[in-house]
Formats: sequence, C-alpha cells, structure tokens
Amino acid sequence: MSRPRYFEDVEVGDELPALKLTLSGAQVRAYAETANMPGGRFYGDEEARAEGLPGQIAPGNMSMALFSRLLSGWSERGRLLRLNATFRGLVRPNVPLTFHAVVIEKHASDHGNFVECDLVLENADGERLVTGTATLQLPSRG
Amino acid sequence: MALTFDRSILGQEFDHTVFEPVTKEDMLAYATAYGETNPIYLDEAAARSGPYGTLVAVPTFAFRLRGHHFMPKSLAQVGRAGLDAGKDVEFGEPIRPGDVLTASSTIHDIYEKTGRTGTMHFIVIRTLVTNQNGMRVAVIDQRMMFR
Repeated sequence: MSRPRYFEDVEVGDELPALKLTLSGAQVRAYAETANMPGGRFYGDEEARAEGLPGQIAPGNMSMALFSRLLSGWSERGRLLRLNATFRGLVRPNVPLTFHAVVIEKHASDHGNFVECDLVLENADGERLVTGTATLQLPSRG
Repeated sequence: MALTFDRSILGQEFDHTVFEPVTKEDMLAYATAYGETNPIYLDEAAARSGPYGTLVAVPTFAFRLRGHHFMPKSLAQVGRAGLDAGKDVEFGEPIRPGDVLTASSTIHDIYEKTGRTGTMHFIVIRTLVTNQNGMRVAVIDQRMMFR
C-alpha cells in the first residue's frame, strides 16, 4: 500500500488525480445487477429505448461509486463521510468519462480533520453530467 | 403530470426491510463491479493494517440495499417512471461481514420547480440504514424527478 494521505499534506485548491475511463455496456449491466438495481435502462439499449431513453445508461449510483473510488484511491486511509451528487445528464457506456475532484475547504476540530471536495463528471465534450461534493476525514501526522 | 398527495405522508415509514447478513463475497462483488482499487476494501491482509483493522464494505455498498417498496401506496400513481435526480448521503458505521442491516424509508420532502422546460416535481425518499446494534450506517436522501 502506498503512503496514506495526511491532513497536513493537503491544501485548498489541490486537484486530485482525475479518474478517466470508458464504461462498457457489460460493465454497466454487471454493476446494476450486483447493486440490485431494477430497470431495463441499465441492462441494454433495447430495454432503455423501451423506456423512452436514447440507449443504455449507467445508474447514478455507479457514478457515485466511481467518485468514491477516486476519493478512496487518493486518500488511501481517508474515511468518506458525505457524498452528494446531482445527476444533470445521461451517463452512457462507450463514452470517454473524466471524474474530477478538487479540495475546496479543510478544517480541523475536536472531532477530527476534514476536507471538502467539489466533484465533476464530464464527457469528452466537457458536458457536466454529474456534479457534487464530498466530505472526507483524513488521518493526521500528529 | 399533476402530483396530488396528502402531506401527512411526510415522515411516515412506508418500508421497513431487514436484510440477510452481509457476506464478504457480496462486499467484494460490489467493490469489484465498479473497479474499486483501494486494497483496504479488497484484501483482508491490507484491511487488517487499515483504519478499521478488518475488512469492511466500501461506503456505497449501502446503495445495493433494496427495500420491499420503492414508494408509499398513496404515491403509486407516480410509479417508477421518474428519473434519479441525485442523492445526498451520509455514511456512518462501516459495514462488516455478518452485519444484519435494516432499511427504513420515508418520504422526506415533496416539492416542485418550474424552469424553462416546464414544471418538475421532486420526491425525496429518505432511507435510514442501521446495523444489528442500532448504529446508523447510512442516511440516503434520493431525489426522484417527475415531469
């Protein structure tokens, strides 16, 4: 395991390494099945079109899970306390996606050391498909 | 679609589901389904040296808990035709293998917004997830949008 991310090493404005990936239709379906998500819209194009959508879409939960993966990979031993997301556009398979996170605030209290992050998921056209925020508790060197 | 409802339904529990004990296999299957890479969620040896001292589920594992009813009967006309507009989630006690989780769902809020494309109705479903010790595991506010 690499070194954990300590609170003291984080500065407001820090950009986390972006998570770039392209989901396949099979990956989206596998996530939906594992996550017990009903709705043919997550299973394939034909099922999604029957629901009035242009084709298969990824569940909002999957976008949030991928944000948690980005945060988890960066923080190593950080603890995710809050995760908020607004789903603004359809997240489709076979489309390049980039998950961004930037530290917008950090504060310490008797309860621990916390950082707030802004989150954005965008496609290759720069369209913001998901926006959100997250709160992480980080370990301290002290 | 006009959305008529009795505001007395706000805050009333419409679903209460107790799930089978969580298994390590379920936890790992969920984590790998979206490509989790942090070894504290994937490897027992790494987890032992991690912040929890044992293997725990990734936080969003709570998303896979599905109660028996998605909506109260009084909102049955809405059905499942809406779109997921977003979620606000607070995570609490980590989920461990063997945990028996309970999900309790209420309608937290109903409101409408009017924009350029017309009126949109929002229903906020709040699901409280607790473990067998009564500790809060997650509070999930899901905003469903209907036109």
